[in-house]
Amino acid sequence: MNKTALWFIRGAVFCALMYAVPSMAIVDTYCPSDLNGDGISDDPDVVCRHITGGDGFAKMADGKDLYVFGFGDATGVPDGEVMMTNMLGANTPAPTIVVKEGQEVYLTLSNVGMANRPDLFDAHSVHWHGFPNASVYYDGVPDASVAINMGASLWYYYKAMDPGTYMYHCHVEVVEHMEMGMVGNLFVTPLQDGTAFDDPTDSVVKNFTKFAYNDGDGTTGYDVDKLIQLGDFDSRFHDASISVQPLPFDTLDGDYHLINGRGYPDTINPDPIVNVDGNPYQPEDSLVTVTQGQRVLLRVSNLSATEYHTLRSLGIPMKVIGRDARILRTGGDPAGTDLYYYTSSVTLGGGQSYDVLLDTTGVAPGTYFLYSRNLNDLNNKDERRGGMMTQIVVQ
Amino acid sequence: MLNRLKKKLGLVVAMAVLGVVMAACPASAVIQGVTGTAFNFTAKPGYIYGGDGVSIYIWGFANGTGVVQYPGPTLLLHEGDNVSITLTNSLTTNVSMVFPGMSNVAVTPGGSGVPGIITTECPPAGTVTYTFTAANPGTYYYQSGTDPALQVEMGLFGAIVVYPTGSFPASPGVLSQPGHAYNDTQGDSAYDREYLLIVSEMDARIHRAAERGIAPDTNGFFSVYWFYNGRNMPDTMGAAGDPMLPTQPYNALFQMHPGEKVLYRIVGIGRELHPVHPHGNHTNLIAQDGRLLSSGPANGADLRKRLFTIPTTPGGTYDTIFEWTGANVGWDIYGHAPGDPMQPNEFAADHGKPFPTPIPHQQDLMPGQLYSGSPFLGGSGALPPGEGGFNPTGAYMHMVHDHVEKELCNDGIFPGGAMTIMAIEHPSVPIP
Ligand SMILES: [Cu+2]
Ligand SMILES: [Cu+2]
Repeated sequence: MNKTALWFIRGAVFCALMYAVPSMAIVDTYCPSDLNGDGISDDPDVVCRHITGGDGFAKMADGKDLYVFGFGDATGVPDGEVMMTNMLGANTPAPTIVVKEGQEVYLTLSNVGMANRPDLFDAHSVHWHGFPNASVYYDGVPDASVAINMGASLWYYYKAMDPGTYMYHCHVEVVEHMEMGMVGNLFVTPLQDGTAFDDPTDSVVKNFTKFAYNDGDGTTGYDVDKLIQLGDFDSRFHDASISVQPLPFDTLDGDYHLINGRGYPDTINPDPIVNVDGNPYQPEDSLVTVTQGQRVLLRVSNLSATEYHTLRSLGIPMKVIGRDARILRTGGDPAGTDLYYYTSSVTLGGGQSYDVLLDTTGVAPGTYFLYSRNLNDLNNKDERRGGMMTQIVVQ
Repeated sequence: MLNRLKKKLGLVVAMAVLGVVMAACPASAVIQGVTGTAFNFTAKPGYIYGGDGVSIYIWGFANGTGVVQYPGPTLLLHEGDNVSITLTNSLTTNVSMVFPGMSNVAVTPGGSGVPGIITTECPPAGTVTYTFTAANPGTYYYQSGTDPALQVEMGLFGAIVVYPTGSFPASPGVLSQPGHAYNDTQGDSAYDREYLLIVSEMDARIHRAAERGIAPDTNGFFSVYWFYNGRNMPDTMGAAGDPMLPTQPYNALFQMHPGEKVLYRIVGIGRELHPVHPHGNHTNLIAQDGRLLSSGPANGADLRKRLFTIPTTPGGTYDTIFEWTGANVGWDIYGHAPGDPMQPNEFAADHGKPFPTPIPHQQDLMPGQLYSGSPFLGGSGALPPGEGGFNPTGAYMHMVHDHVEKELCNDGIFPGGAMTIMAIEHPSVPIP
């Protein structure tokens, strides 16, 4: 689709929406700590984010343009422009949300509609997957709470008290919306960040200032962190969606296997992948570049709607220090006993996360691979030597 | 989006059932099963209903000469019980029973047993008596030991709960009562309520083949139904013993109060892995395969993990304790004003704090059938005509579901599958 056509569609759908939806429906950012009206919080203890739910396209590593649903980032976009700028603005994966422990989060979700499927009137929601002691209203499950219709905004509030690797996804028509791509990464960084600790279990003396958890001893310290979200797309399902055919739920099975919404070699492209509309909506590579001696924190999650995956590290041992946004100590309690362990793989079903340290002390400079040991994941549909694989470059 | 009318009709029926259960039949908060030490089981064919209303041919176990059921009768046993099960075979093929994790498993001489590969089998019309000792407390299961790729798939399995000495419920099968799952002195396995969650799946083609007497292909397995306690959503949320589901007597509907400890006894009985995701909070995995996650006899569950998704493996069992208090939500979940009295187990630091965001106009929202119309626990509010109404107590209805998301379908129709609800009830709402 060329740019002119795209803007034509946007305009047409925008007009249709304005005509079709009740007059009170309006995009409206809620950010009580925004003093100057730019949609950005002016209080360091408060984070405001604005995301949109809609559709768009992702480009697979073999060049296939895949129709997707997704979230787009509208933080700081004036309310009156959100419908036009974020229509067809689905990001794959959804915009990454990073907040600090103790921060309050106001998240606005606006539904910009499905420009390519004007027959759909789907609502959307945000499920902060794993949020401790969640209320139902802000949990995003439409059966038990509320979801937001097209052209309008819904406001979520969270107090981020527990650091760790979370994820988020839409929970409306959840099989379809997750398979179509409404999945993203969400991290809470610990209060301990900024304090220096030398990990006593380490062979070298090095003061870390960034940590996965409030470990009290530096054992979860890292130099570089990387999100590694595993997922799959079943192109038959996506193609059926764009061509308004019955959706093949009964045969769902991924044929594109992705890390952060990309298949290898796109996984190691440091630039955003540009989609058929010319938009950089696959912004997250998974290439890890480190200097020998540095420690990497992999924030691994699986939001595949269809499969388990075993992620294996070739050449650099994995140290598992967290699971499901909890430090791997007795009962997930920082005061508990270490249950950390070394391995070379982690296996995740949908909705699980692992925090894994890769220490490159003594690791020879070179290129190392991180890949799915489900060997049928190592392709981009019919194209071999691709799929769920990325690189760690030690310099 | 699916055929919304069809979906809504299904949901309305389900939610109506749920509403009735919540309001009038609260004795659903139990682990249903059979008690005693000497049982008579019959293996026989029958039919169950998928959540889509389609009838599916099964083989299963019946208690005595009663109706076949999926899953088989749950055995509620005491630690140390010497148990016998006399199995009569009304199928047209050999069948048997194995008891993973049980001690002294033996076959009583004198029956009509024939040697099988992993245990003595019972030929058609024959009778075999199996005996075992329930030596250790915990969560276990039994299953067919004959051609298990087919027979377990067909439904020949059931759960076993072994209660520790001194913690057997006074009225097992009637009430969910406080207890401890293991003999730890640390209290790591203590609970206020317990629920069973048996996770299974089916490839409908295998069942259709078996029904027609065609040799089923168990190798090209591709599941299309996923079950909690033998039912698909929405039936998971219906009443236990529902006469509309005569061969699926167990439901999977959970209730708790804030601050309580709820023990989920999870059994992964099928051949797939299933990540069980309880919404609302993390849960403390304290035991696997009938053993406390412990580094030594006196150390309690010191290897316990706090997870938001419990990944089940084929034939694995998982005991996990779920708690929910609403701590640190950042606002008063009861909608209290600052001077109001506190509710039991309320998080004091949030008492009286206002609800933090506006609520969109009704016309901009899609409210769920289980939404009370209010964000507050025990609250209620206006809902659009024809929406909601199935949460009369204003409970926080948190989903519990399989997070291989496609497993929330019944043979290709969403919603369905391995999904149910944990209803966190206001402290004033009685849960029996
Ligand atoms: Cu959605
Ligand atoms: Cu989730």
